[in-house]
Amino acid sequence: YVYSRPPPWSDTLPTIFVITPTYTRPVQKAELTRLANTFLHVQNLHWVVVEDSPRRTNLVSNLLEKAGLNFTHLNVETPKSLKLGLSWIPSHTPRGTLQRNLGLHWLRNSFSNSAPPEGVVYFADDDNTYSLELFEEMRYTRRVSVWPVAFVGGLRYESPKVSPEGKVVGWKTVFDPNRPFAIDMAGFAISIKLILEKPQASFKLEGVKGGYQETSLLKDLVTMDGLEPKAANCTKVLVWHTRTERPTLVNEGKRGFTDPRVEV
Amino acid sequence: NEELWVQSVLEMPKRRDILAIVLIVLPWTLLITVWHQSTIAPLLAVHKDDGGDSRRDLAAGLDSKEYCLSDRDIVEVVRTEYVYTRPPPWSDTLPTIHVITPTYSRPVQKAELTRLANTLLHVPNLHWILVEDSQRRTPLITRLLRDTGLNYTHLNVETPRNYKLRGDTRDPRIPRGTMQRNLALRWLRETFNKNSSQPGIVYFADDDNTYSLELFEEMRSTRKVSVWPVAFVGGLRYESPKVNAAGKVYGWKTVFDPHRPFAIDMAGFAVNLRLILARSQAYFKLRGVKGGYQESSLLRELVTLSDLEPKAANCTKILVWHTRTEKPVLVNEGKKGFTDPNVEI
Repeated sequence: YVYSRPPPWSDTLPTIFVITPTYTRPVQKAELTRLANTFLHVQNLHWVVVEDSPRRTNLVSNLLEKAGLNFTHLNVETPKSLKLGLSWIPSHTPRGTLQRNLGLHWLRNSFSNSAPPEGVVYFADDDNTYSLELFEEMRYTRRVSVWPVAFVGGLRYESPKVSPEGKVVGWKTVFDPNRPFAIDMAGFAISIKLILEKPQASFKLEGVKGGYQETSLLKDLVTMDGLEPKAANCTKVLVWHTRTERPTLVNEGKRGFTDPRVEV
Repeated sequence: NEELWVQSVLEMPKRRDILAIVLIVLPWTLLITVWHQSTIAPLLAVHKDDGGDSRRDLAAGLDSKEYCLSDRDIVEVVRTEYVYTRPPPWSDTLPTIHVITPTYSRPVQKAELTRLANTLLHVPNLHWILVEDSQRRTPLITRLLRDTGLNYTHLNVETPRNYKLRGDTRDPRIPRGTMQRNLALRWLRETFNKNSSQPGIVYFADDDNTYSLELFEEMRSTRKVSVWPVAFVGGLRYESPKVNAAGKVYGWKTVFDPHRPFAIDMAGFAVNLRLILARSQAYFKLRGVKGGYQESSLLRELVTLSDLEPKAANCTKILVWHTRTEKPVLVNEGKKGFTDPNVEI
């Protein structure tokens, strides 16, 4: 069978480390499949897939092996609230936080601050849609680069506000535009160097207001005037925050109709 | 006279020398010129790229990045192209897969077609027939198709609106995409000669489903009509043809109406182009088609159950998922719109 190979690795291109948290549900394999199909076009991409699970699953392991991409497969389970309600992770821990932090942790363990590799970190959720152009835009990020994202904040897109001098001066959003970083997870990339320079910078786990998760990381890394606007000074949309419907499985009934050994 | 004679004698060797020098030097000059163009350029030492450096050359679609190493190192000039990677080289031996995708304008359209194109770009000998449900071919699609680098045909036909209902709804009695798929079938029949031996496979791929690369290789060997399981249809994890020990399809593993002649989803079969051309009157029925019978309306004119070729390991593997994308929430656009309508999404 044909398994596509990514473009040959280049010794001079900066590496794009894509951190994708993922969790088991019916559409997981489909999402990761079409995501892989996109990543397979991107040179020097290293996919860090972090499962929200107690163990790395066969489904994801096999998919990563077959895809042909450069990858690292991690896992960490988000603890569920105890039945008594004595949760130590409050219910408003946004999904994927522990997994993204583990991805950052792996990077910091794998690379030394004294000889940082050329590259960027990008957080790519498994249900979004990414154009190939996006990855070339982020590849040469010096500190933190930003760009518009479609279908977030109840808008066609949210975007950084860029001054004529090419500096980010604010945020074109309706929802809470005064957040320090009113930007979606898919709207920025961070240079590896910066990640390694600031080993304490992580996504905050607890007490994060809705829409502030990105801020909880970025505030320890950069200030607004240090941001690098991409995508033609933030006038082009190169990434879409798509969401996949949950499939109707009513006809499976109580005992299940389809063969559970057939992987979906 | 003597002086003149001496002068001319002295001149003659000079001319010969010059001729000799020219004949020796000229080939080397030519050689060096050629070398210079191909080899020397990448070996030029260049300055380090500095983000906002105005010397950076930003030609349309091209961005060159340059790195500075010591004078003695060979420096590679790296160019990154923004446009999609080209598809794999065309092969003379592989049958062409004609993928027919109906599409219509809505917020997620560009996203759907982008990620679909990203998948199709891996498949050799693929011809994408994109049919818009519109009065005119839109600039969005025109640009998108051109930028992918895929082999494509861009068609359009508008499904008539039902004027009795609120102006925007299409005729609900015509299943979505039908006229578009039929137009593509007609285009194939008008473009390809029934007697020519150009091998091809026809596959109907909706723009919101998810396709594995393996699927396209499975369908490439279709002789008449091949079939395989599809995930997330019929209210099940997947629907599948029933295949007996002899490798023949004898029924359908579905809960919803398993007695349909072809209880299979649009994404679950492919047809050999020869058959499409031979049965030139076979189309999807436009009206009066019960829910779930659209596929049957075409297939019953092409093939019988026993002729079906099961793929995907005798229909035990899932290689295609009938995913659906949520409608994005755009409440904050308000009445007058918040975002710039000139920015394409």
